[in-house]
Amino acid sequence: MEDAPALKERIKNLMVENLMLQVTPAEIGDDLPLFGPGGLGLDSVDALQLVVALDKNFGLKIADPATAKVVLQSVNTIADAVQKKLAA
Amino acid sequence: MRTILVTGANGGLGRAIARAFLDESPDNFVWLGVHSRRDHADQLVAAFPGRCQCLSLDVTQPASWKEAVAQILATHERIDVLVNNAGRHEDALLAHMPVKSWQNVLDTNLNATFHGCQAVLHAMIHQRSGRIVNVASLSALLAPAGQTNYAAAKAGVVALTQSLAKEVARMNITVNAVCPGFIETEALSSLGDDERKAARSRIPMRRFGKPEEVAATVRFLACAEAGYITGSVVKIDGGIL
Repeated sequence: MEDAPALKERIKNLMVENLMLQVTPAEIGDDLPLFGPGGLGLDSVDALQLVVALDKNFGLKIADPATAKVVLQSVNTIADAVQKKLAA
Repeated sequence: MRTILVTGANGGLGRAIARAFLDESPDNFVWLGVHSRRDHADQLVAAFPGRCQCLSLDVTQPASWKEAVAQILATHERIDVLVNNAGRHEDALLAHMPVKSWQNVLDTNLNATFHGCQAVLHAMIHQRSGRIVNVASLSALLAPAGQTNYAAAKAGVVALTQSLAKEVARMNITVNAVCPGFIETEALSSLGDDERKAARSRIPMRRFGKPEEVAATVRFLACAEAGYITGSVVKIDGGIL
């Protein structure tokens, strides 16, 4: 399994590429909120794309909005969910 | 290869749409969504061996959609175009309309379009490309008496098209609708001579449309060059509206 920093880097790259973000991966802090003011400013359509990308790349299935709310808070929370999935 | 699914492929319009894609390019593979009858679709399979295949699909059932899309993905690993063409009408004045007629028409025309879009979207988002063309009707824009169910369902399809187009535009998926007027299909053949004459007199072009004329528009909306057209509603009605 890749180490946590490498995994977070991969998640950031995936976000920039899939969501066509106008920032570089390095500009996304591990704890930066993905949604809402003061955060990365993603919207619900970005969230949909992110859910599909996480499934495609890591096999991480986010089946309901409640889980999405927990997992898609920041790069850190996504990395945690991916690590749990890979460890399972 | 481009993978295309056309629902209601046994009907006059569905057949013409499938045929338009088959004629467009030898790289197109067309899945013919069929339900209660498949005789005409089978003829198409015989005429284009290895280029199209019948697919059992009850468009009103999400489970049937899931199975159908799984079969397409298992075979071709992608789905490029969905044409939601299957539909039905059960005309009656609202005052006398059986509740069942309301529900059947909403199920087959509007709910089926929802189920179809939902069934293919995941794959299209994965691909970051896709084309959805919904066959609505002129009744959505110019609702005649006796079609409260059908007109409401098709108007719903138009609204669904416009809303979904905004949701998936940034994934390079386009969603458009066509609104055919009077087209020479089985649906029109139920009209008597006098009714046909009366209908024709309402059309500025003084003729009914051909299924091929609708099919050509659907094919265009699904082609690569139409990539910037989304949320559009194209009426094909000889100038009625």
